[in-house]
Amino acid sequence: MAEVTYREALRRALDEELARDERVFLMGEEIGRFEGSYKVTAGLWAKYGPKRVRETPISEEGFVGAGIGAAMLGLRPVVEIMTINFILVAQDMVVNHAAKIRQMFGGKVGVPMVIRTPAGAGAQLTAQHSQSLEVWFAHTPGLKVVAPSSPRDAYGLLKTAIRDDDPVLFVENLVLYNVTGSIPEPGDDFTLPLGRAHVAREGADLTIVAHSYTVRRALSVADRLARSGFEAEVVDLRSLRPLDVDTVVASVRKTHRVLIAEEGWATFGVGAELAARVGRACFDDLDAPPERVGGAEVPMPYSKPLELAALMLEDKLEAAARSLLAESGLVEAG
Amino acid sequence: MAVEVPMPRLSDTMEEGTVARWVKREGDHVVAGDVIAEIDTDKATMELTAYEDGVLLKILVGEGESAELGTPIALIGAEGEEVPETAPRANGPSQTAPREARAEESSAADRHEPAAPQAGGEAVGEVKASPIARRIAADAGLDLRELAGKGTGPDGRIVKVDVERALGKEGEPGRAAVEPPASERAASPGPPAPVDDEVVDATPMLRAVARRMSESKATVPHFYLDAEIDMGSALDLREELNQALAGDDERISVNDLVVRAAALALVENPKFHRSWHDGKLVLHKSAHIGIAVALDEGLIVPVLRSVEQKSVREIARESRDLVERARAGALKQPEIEGGTFSISNLGMFGIPSFSAVVNPPEPGILAVGAAVKRAVVIDDAVRVRPIMTVTLSVDHRATSGAEGARLLASIKRLLERPVLLLV
Repeated sequence: MAEVTYREALRRALDEELARDERVFLMGEEIGRFEGSYKVTAGLWAKYGPKRVRETPISEEGFVGAGIGAAMLGLRPVVEIMTINFILVAQDMVVNHAAKIRQMFGGKVGVPMVIRTPAGAGAQLTAQHSQSLEVWFAHTPGLKVVAPSSPRDAYGLLKTAIRDDDPVLFVENLVLYNVTGSIPEPGDDFTLPLGRAHVAREGADLTIVAHSYTVRRALSVADRLARSGFEAEVVDLRSLRPLDVDTVVASVRKTHRVLIAEEGWATFGVGAELAARVGRACFDDLDAPPERVGGAEVPMPYSKPLELAALMLEDKLEAAARSLLAESGLVEAG
Repeated sequence: MAVEVPMPRLSDTMEEGTVARWVKREGDHVVAGDVIAEIDTDKATMELTAYEDGVLLKILVGEGESAELGTPIALIGAEGEEVPETAPRANGPSQTAPREARAEESSAADRHEPAAPQAGGEAVGEVKASPIARRIAADAGLDLRELAGKGTGPDGRIVKVDVERALGKEGEPGRAAVEPPASERAASPGPPAPVDDEVVDATPMLRAVARRMSESKATVPHFYLDAEIDMGSALDLREELNQALAGDDERISVNDLVVRAAALALVENPKFHRSWHDGKLVLHKSAHIGIAVALDEGLIVPVLRSVEQKSVREIARESRDLVERARAGALKQPEIEGGTFSISNLGMFGIPSFSAVVNPPEPGILAVGAAVKRAVVIDDAVRVRPIMTVTLSVDHRATSGAEGARLLASIKRLLERPVLLLV
């Protein structure tokens, strides 16, 4: 086991897959000589050369389309979109082509392509560069959407995503890149299956469901709650589509209360989806209605105090958790 | 249709209330917003206002009687409206009567709806309960109507913990924060009573004091610092002030000087003047000083606000008012909240020194003993001086021994040169 950053875990996964399968190649803006805006592709251009680590112009629609074509012809492209905000100009390629080709071609051809891209906010990148749009894609049949929260999961899931025969949107997070954790040694050929949530912390009083960086916030809120005598269980979804409802349901059957937290806007979000599913699957197990919490429903402000007010920070998450416990008569309201 | 007036939640910690006085009588007209009764909570006497216009048809809980939160204590309805025979009647915490009354009402309602009761607790459709509460109750054969009005969820919803309590279970694990502390819990089954002893219910205030003091001693790491203060100059100053104020029927007490000294010292020592809140420190800018007041039965700590901005005379006037109203049980909830430090003075009982229990989340409390004439050595000569011993109890999470020592040094300096208290 080696202790590495989330960034390095991704880099190793790419390196190992490039080495393992010569059909794998990388494509994106500034990922070669410059080694990527967030340095995830550090050293790979030097090691594998410009044919397998391809620089592209600023043309997301064009290079995602090129990735789709390459994938249809048997290659395994891993396309980097600098941030999830820029995928909007390639939306037609992702939603109308990559997601639909296998079904529309009668299963004769698929799109084994990975699009890697970071979401997230908190660095005063303001309204157009601070979004968490992963639910737009999780809404779409034909796509898989993965959003790991730890270096180990990022490493294991990226390798699996590259080996998957269908398009996978691999959602990273700006704030996660410097987070450290242990990952298995390269020789182990470690992979993780897509669509399996993970209980990141066990608890009996309340389930907090999250994905990506929000898992870390949830764990820190669970620590705070523990100091007041409440044990929150934290479920890390790891993947939004396929969505591992079973793990969430098993947890809620144990705790009787569920709070779904997400960095993006809660309306029509992960919380909306899970609240509906949990409401049905756990109807007789619930002691309070499922609750959700997300970022403020505004375009992200630039001003630091306003940005802090809009982000789904620990205090907001903790307040929602305590209010849910209060609804169950376990803590005083307010 | 008559509307029930439930026993309201008037403080964060109250579990039941006692009707101190009915302001309105049966038959009186009431308008929403009128004060209809005064309720003793565990902390203070609070006013209960009506939420409905109408006539106070019936008082269900008499003066001096207690009822749990949510229990109907009166009925308000239209003039001349008949009070139903089955009107709930609460005689105190036992609740037997209202439970039966409610069951009768419900069965009457059931007769109007011939639909057969469904599985899964549908028969108790008019009782609001969470799904898991319904399931546990159904499994245990408990009729949720028995818990009507006692739910602790939103709008009285019966939740899991209510059913578990009713079934006599301990509740879920991790309940330490909400279960009553052992000191209270031990009392619930009734202590064993030798024949010549008597067992009485503790008042809500005594229970609140018991809870808070147990919580403090169990969770606040206390340490204690003593200081001996030469009160000669302070007593002279007090004498002079009282002579000057004699015509105004005002008197300054030693305690007023100590309160003023503590406030100035707290503002001078910001590293002491802060409270521990779950991993965070709240830095207090202004000194709000609680004064422990012994009551005939119990103890209450009214708070003097922003004392550093007040003259000794204002402090004397306000603290006399607070103490008088504390003894009369007439303090309002905001007057007993928000302290940043407390003072407990047993000097009038001749106690030379003692240690007090920190009143969380305040960082400390100063226990003040009597000024006693003692032989002390000054400039190598033995002199007789009035010495007052004070003991500072400190929350070691919020601050340290050195900061406590600095605070005490400030208090000592101010009281030994008391002219500083006047500027």
